[in-house]
Amino acid sequence: MATKDRIAGAALALFALFVLEESRKLPLGSLREPGPSFVPVLLAALLLIFGTCIAASGGQSEGFRSLRWRELPHAVAILGACGFSAWALERLGYRITVLIVVFLLVKLVEKKSWLATTLVALALSFGSFYLFYTLLRVPLPLGPWGI
Amino acid sequence: MLDTLQNLYLGFTVALAPNVFLYAVVGCVIGTLVGVLPGVGPLAGISLLLPASFGMDATSAIVLLAGIYYGAMYGGSTTSILMRIPGEAASVMTCIDGYAMTRNGRAGPALAIAAVGSYIAGTVSVVALMLLAPPLANFALRFGPPEYCALLLLGLLALAYMSGGSIVKALAMAALGLLLGMIGIDPMTGFFRFAYGVVELGDGIGVVPVAVGLFGLSEILLTAGEEAPPEVKKPRLADLLPSRQEWRDSVWPIGRGTVLGFLIGIVPGSAHIISSFVSYAVERRVSKHPERFGHGAIEGVAGPESANNSATSGAFVPMLALGVPSGPIPAVMLAALMVHGVSPGPLLIQQQPKLFWGFIASMYVGNVVLLILNLPLVGVFVNILRVPYHFLYPAILIFCVLGVYAVNGSVVDVWIMIAMGALGYILRKLDFETAPIVLGVVLAPMLEMSFRQSLAMSSGNYTIFFSRPIAASMLAAGACLLLLSLLPLLRRGADWRGALGLAASDEKEGPHET
Amino acid sequence: MRRRIALLVMLCALPLGTLYAQEKFPDRPITIVAPFPPGGVADLTARPVAAAMEKILKNPVVVVNKTGAAGAVGMSFVANSRPDGYTLLMALSSISIIPEADKLFDRKPAYTIDQLVPLALFSADPTILVVGADHPWKTLKDLVADAKKKPGEISYSSSGIYGTLHMAMEMFAHAAGIKLKHVPYGGAGPALTAVLGGHQDMFASGPAVIIPHVKAGKLRALAGWGAKRVASMPDVPTFKELGYDIEFYIWAGMFAPKGTPEPIMKKLRETMKQVVQEAEFKDAMAKLETPIAYMDAPHFQKFYEKDAKMLTEATRRIGRVEEPAK
Repeated sequence: MATKDRIAGAALALFALFVLEESRKLPLGSLREPGPSFVPVLLAALLLIFGTCIAASGGQSEGFRSLRWRELPHAVAILGACGFSAWALERLGYRITVLIVVFLLVKLVEKKSWLATTLVALALSFGSFYLFYTLLRVPLPLGPWGI
Repeated sequence: MLDTLQNLYLGFTVALAPNVFLYAVVGCVIGTLVGVLPGVGPLAGISLLLPASFGMDATSAIVLLAGIYYGAMYGGSTTSILMRIPGEAASVMTCIDGYAMTRNGRAGPALAIAAVGSYIAGTVSVVALMLLAPPLANFALRFGPPEYCALLLLGLLALAYMSGGSIVKALAMAALGLLLGMIGIDPMTGFFRFAYGVVELGDGIGVVPVAVGLFGLSEILLTAGEEAPPEVKKPRLADLLPSRQEWRDSVWPIGRGTVLGFLIGIVPGSAHIISSFVSYAVERRVSKHPERFGHGAIEGVAGPESANNSATSGAFVPMLALGVPSGPIPAVMLAALMVHGVSPGPLLIQQQPKLFWGFIASMYVGNVVLLILNLPLVGVFVNILRVPYHFLYPAILIFCVLGVYAVNGSVVDVWIMIAMGALGYILRKLDFETAPIVLGVVLAPMLEMSFRQSLAMSSGNYTIFFSRPIAASMLAAGACLLLLSLLPLLRRGADWRGALGLAASDEKEGPHET
Repeated sequence: MRRRIALLVMLCALPLGTLYAQEKFPDRPITIVAPFPPGGVADLTARPVAAAMEKILKNPVVVVNKTGAAGAVGMSFVANSRPDGYTLLMALSSISIIPEADKLFDRKPAYTIDQLVPLALFSADPTILVVGADHPWKTLKDLVADAKKKPGEISYSSSGIYGTLHMAMEMFAHAAGIKLKHVPYGGAGPALTAVLGGHQDMFASGPAVIIPHVKAGKLRALAGWGAKRVASMPDVPTFKELGYDIEFYIWAGMFAPKGTPEPIMKKLRETMKQVVQEAEFKDAMAKLETPIAYMDAPHFQKFYEKDAKMLTEATRRIGRVEEPAK
């Protein structure tokens, strides 16, 4: 029976095994002189134990299928917009990236009007740039035409 | 005593001189702005304004930079309470109960108590700094790797008390966080660990992207898609001020937070970040109603906020008394002093009385300024919540990206934030707490390094932890605490599963139902 | 037909255009990358240089901190940036260590030494060996004798493994034939704190930071890694005087990515020459207690090559540290 805790515990245990595997590339050292992978291995072993405990006694938690993923499409869209901003930030510069991201979110995802979207996008993009780049001297990337 | 008062008088004449006072105010304002911006903490703020300070005289420069430092501590609580986005790493704990209070319509009181608590903690700790700097500094200097390791282990114990639900789940999250903190160059041998060729991960994944992602971004991901945007009860004027009960409940947490934060802040290193974590754990432990934590307990705001403000004064103790760079922020301020021709060293207090006392006085002044600045702004900030969520969250998102990027100028940090946001979303769906992960990421590098440094010092001999008095006493205290908490388990015996919370957890983290 | 002529004209104008662009160098803000956090040597040297350059070139010059991986992030950033003279690097002596360390671990190097071309040297502080004042060693001889009696017991702190302070001590240990215990810390600040607190016995440091502590009697300086004695500490003998043929400087110099056009390089070098004459620059460096040790590119190139060779050898000699207690 796939309950929340079983799945979560299993995932954690799997991750711990992955870390253990990756740690084999690094020297373990000894108890007297721990090497680079000593503490990671220790921690991964602990995580393995904890994950297994959670999975083993997870029979009484709610079923996995009872989870509601209603907001998932929305969340994915937001993550996508963030991912775009990470990709575009140094390529297109701060202001253009913010303009596009706000457009994406307010217009496409939230489906607000063009007027509202434009106002918000311009205000956020140029306003925050002025506040932080010009006034506070935070280094923000400039785009291809110095924008 | 008379001496001190005379010196203080001298200090106030310096601090209240128009140009120095102006810089204190400017520093506080900038600090608040910097603190409100998600992720960008006092270190980033000070680093950004360091070059601007070169043109001023030494006293004004240091007053400005210090103002930014504790101003950021005030400002960091604002976004934490209103939007569950940590303004800096030390504000993570405020997010939990602070945001819960906002959901209950008590955002105003939360902000007010945070401001007042910060003021009291800031002022009291400056007094302590003033009176106790030299002896405390010498004590702090005796903290070497074994003592540091013991202190951080005690900090880890705080984990067990941080969560309301299953302890095993919290421990699993802590292990996860500790593992994430292992990414980067191993400082003892130079090996790149788990970095897969990305040079920017050399210093680890950084607590700022993790905190902002796990708390701020995951909150947006969970909330933005809901059909009914989060209900914010329109605040009335009466609702802006804390109730009598809330004031009464906050007194002891503020006191405890102040003392705790100051002591932890003295220790050289970045230990002051854990002051708010430890304070939360202590409050939860001594509270008569621990189940209120996570659902809007004012103690969960008052304690951590006071702790992180008094830790800032604590951090100045070794810096001013001994000229020792006791952490990244004092190091930058020492550099600022050097640039202005002031040699920081053990004789700083004697050689530069105007600077030292002017600095102390400006901290008093700064705390007052910040209180005056923040209290009226409570009404303003709470009204920001009235902005329709569909417009608000893109703005929050942009500021998160901006803040995380600004810390290191690195896009890799933004990617980490996104990954952590997704992780936080999934974890909260599955009923896991995310705060232990942040603590783990903060503690892991320091804990491992001090552990291996200690072994290097003793050539592999583990008794170094027990032969040094400070380390031994801290470990003993930790062992006692651990035993005390396990005692109920042993007594009840049969119900150990229930006690550990391995069965279905009734406690859900925060008011967020899935 | 007309189209073709237009095209031809444009094609001819292109090289003229780049020439013109070079004549007009600089016409945008120049970025100096400091690969270390603010408040460190690279940062504190870069800022007065930037200010002076701005005055001379009448063009904005900004200092940007790109920190990470003991400087590797900032250095590889400049090494891989466009060689148009607008991105420069203020590097410390660790620039030659990092690619060698990468090789030790069979890693793809973040950058290689030949990707960066030296422009000018600004400061070259020799490191000084300091011990905690509570220790009995009054001269270097005492220390070496004691170390020979107790190999691997006397400990020193450093700013990090394969860092400049580690290298300096390694060279000393090798030259004196002694074994010391190395305990790495996370930066020069913590390393200093460790010695002040008595947790480690000694360390190597740039002079500026330790002078106040030596004057206050908390630290004792035993020897210096320079060719000459340091002006601010005239009674500290050099290693060379004491019979050890080692030299080590924490130098700060400006680099440009390889492939930067010759005329731009020339202009930059000219600017650097003028920078060190600026009164404000001199004043700033005096405040930092860092004497100006200016070297123009060809001179600097020789110095840099010699330094790189020495450091590369030392790195190879240290090899991989599988166990921290060596």
